[in-house]
Order: sequence, then C-alpha cells, then structure tokens
Amino acid sequence: MPEESRDSAGVRVRLDRMVEEFADLDAREKLELLVDFANGLPALPAEYEARKAVEDRRVHECQTPVFLWPETIPAGGARLVADVAPEAPTVKGFVAVLAEAVAGRPVGEAATLPDDILERMGLVEVLGMMRTGGLRSIVARVRRGFAELARSQV
Amino acid sequence: MPEYAQPDILVSTEWVAEHLTDPRVRIVESDEDRALYVQGHVPGAVEIDWQTDLQDPLQRDYIDRAAFERLCAERGIANDTTVVFYGDKSNWWACYAFWVFKLYGHADCRIMNGGRKRWGLDGRPWSTERVAHPCTTYAATEQDGSIRALRDEVLRHQKAGRQLLDVRSPEEYRGERMHMPDYPNEGAVRGGHVPGAVNVPWPMNCNDDGTFRSAKELEKLYIRELKMKRRSPTIAYCRIGERSSLTWFVLRYLLGFGNVKNYDGSWLEWGNAVRMPIVRGPEPHGTSAATRAASDACATPPVHA
Repeated sequence: MPEESRDSAGVRVRLDRMVEEFADLDAREKLELLVDFANGLPALPAEYEARKAVEDRRVHECQTPVFLWPETIPAGGARLVADVAPEAPTVKGFVAVLAEAVAGRPVGEAATLPDDILERMGLVEVLGMMRTGGLRSIVARVRRGFAELARSQV
Repeated sequence: MPEYAQPDILVSTEWVAEHLTDPRVRIVESDEDRALYVQGHVPGAVEIDWQTDLQDPLQRDYIDRAAFERLCAERGIANDTTVVFYGDKSNWWACYAFWVFKLYGHADCRIMNGGRKRWGLDGRPWSTERVAHPCTTYAATEQDGSIRALRDEVLRHQKAGRQLLDVRSPEEYRGERMHMPDYPNEGAVRGGHVPGAVNVPWPMNCNDDGTFRSAKELEKLYIRELKMKRRSPTIAYCRIGERSSLTWFVLRYLLGFGNVKNYDGSWLEWGNAVRMPIVRGPEPHGTSAATRAASDACATPPVHA
C-alpha cells in the first residue's frame, strides 16, 4: 500500500489503478485479491477500541459489524480508520480499497468517492446484489463523513 | 436422555476429516462471506454460494430444476452422493443450501456440526487449492412443497392461529426503527412481525462454537417453554429465509417436527407487500394500528387476543 507521502495521485486515479488490478481476474481470483487488500488494512489503533462503544461509528445497513472513522491527519489530508470483523474478509478488503483511495488526499476530494466502484471491479456478479447493498452503504457513509469534515474545514 | 430425532444428520469434523477422499461424499461450503472459501476451505470441498449459485437470475425464486441438475453435475454430485454442508455463522448458509437440496429431493444431506468455526477450533487443515471433481449426471425431483411456504399459505396459517416462528433479533421482531430513520427497516417499508408469530432468535439454537445445542436444551426451549407441538403445522421465517432455514433444520431433523416449512419470502416480502397484517412490539399479537385506533376511540382499553 503506497504511503500517503509518496502517492500524489488523486482518488480517481488510485481507484482506476485498483480497478485495473481486478480486471481479467476470474471470480476466485477477485476474491483472493480482496483478501490481499483485507490483509493490508491496518489494525485498529488501541485508542479507537474504547471509542467503538460510545461513538456512533457503526454502519448499520451492513450486516457485518463495520466501524468507520473518516478523519483528517495532522497535515490536513484524509484518513479512513476502520474496524471490520475478521470473519468478513470481503467487507474488510473493500474497506481497505476505500482507505487506500483516500489516504492523504484533501477531504473534499475524499468526499467524491464514486458509486460505481463495485461494478467497475466486476464484484457485483461475484458477490450478488444483496451483499453489494451493504458495501454501497459503506461508500455512502465514508462519503458523508468526509463531506462533513470538508464543510467544517471551510 | 433425549436424542436428536435424526442424530446421523449431523457429522463431526472428525467424520469429515476421515471422509475427505471418500468418492461417495461431497463436502460443500456455503458462506455469508465468499472470500472465506478462498482464504481456506476443507480440503476437497466445493463452494455453493447462496446468491450466485442458488438464486434464479430473473425471478425472485430459487434456480429451476434444470439449473439445479447442472449445478450438481458441475460439482460432481450424483443422486446417491452423501452431501455434507458447512459454512460460517454457525452454518446459516449451510442450512440454507441443505434446504434447497431437500427442495429438489436430494436423499442424503448432512451438516458438519459447528461449521468453519469448529473445523478451526479442532485444529483441522485448511486448503487453498482449486477443487475440481469429475462431472456427474443428476436427476432432480420437482420442488418439494412440503418444506416451503409461500406468502398466501403463511396468511392462511396466520389467520388459523397456527405455530409461527420469527427467528430474527428482538429489535427486528418488535419493528423498531433502524438507527438512521431514512433507511428502510431491513429493506422493508414496514417493520414488525406477522401477528401471532413467536420470537425465537436463531442464536438460541446454537452454542458459541457454532454447534447445535443438545437435544435436551432444544426440547426445553421449544417443547417445554414455548409449548410447541411436534405434530402441528409450523412455519418459520426471518428476513430472507436464511436464518429460518437453520431453525427449520433444527425443528425437523433434531426435534422431529413432522410438518415444518420455511417461508423463504420472509420479511423482505411480507414487510413490503400491500395489506399484509403486521403488528409491532414484544408480544406475538402486538399492537396493530387497528387496536390502537380502537383504543383511542373507546373509553376503556380493548381486550387483546
């Protein structure tokens, strides 16, 4: 996963690159790639564990327990901190894709995550409509979170 | 000491480990998260995914008979194969796939007790190899309606006051709003439950390690506490019929209920269908809009059924 300081490409370009990684893979290979992304998602920092219980960070529309903290790093760029149950590698992998897409980018740009990531990665056929519904709510939640941050930065 | 009605329907991880290369056996994994299978599966197990393999692509229904036959042939399942289902989440989707196989009349279906969780706890090996078995031929029966309830049957069943189980969480059963009110309640425009349904959340069937509770514990729950009758027609439902497949399995094979059906349409159908009766709250007969209105109009509160 490219470090924030080294990857100057924008959200859209990063997503294009990741979509490319999924192209030409069969269903099983796409799932394997998602697992690779999942393994790359940083562990939840200890201080966030306690926050899970008190803050409203859970994506309720998703059946899997997913907790999201869209935030800004000291330098001002976006960071998505997330906690996803380990028994849901698909969800965790998808969250890792989003985290990589937004890392270090301006929060206003992070708020422009598009709606068609799953389609472009060919994941809708692999996962089915019901599972992708939950993943879409995650995208919406992340977008909303960064949009709020962008508004408060003004 | 009570035993399961059909004790052989459950196999242990040890049994599965001993039959990995038995040509008469086919191990099938069905999960909530498809990536689990690629992360590691029981050696030689094939995947059957509830969404992409078992759903009809056009109508809201299961795959038709011809498609089911093709699926079995491709997975190397013959009519006399012993098919053993397992998966994540205490075997939710394994029970769902088991039910679909019974729908099409497959004779010998089993569940690996405890699923993926138990396999891991028992320290058994995982495989990441691609699995392919020689193709077979398969002849399915017509769908067995004796295990499946469609919406209108559920309505008749409900009106007749028969045994009806809602196996969702208490919050879903009570019809409480989701945390964000602008999102539909579990994908339905209305929340609540079918009038008369008793709430028995599916986790009550299982231990923490994913295995099913003992016959003694299940009898205590369903027969002694809930006073259910084994011979009475019974229907179970949840949101899309996955959790209720597990309860269906428990009632039919572990407790020996003779007439039990899965209402696969479940709340995603009932809670979206025009004019289907709904009640809310913790009681089976809840508080419907009609009784609320009646109680507003009358000086004395109405008597609830």
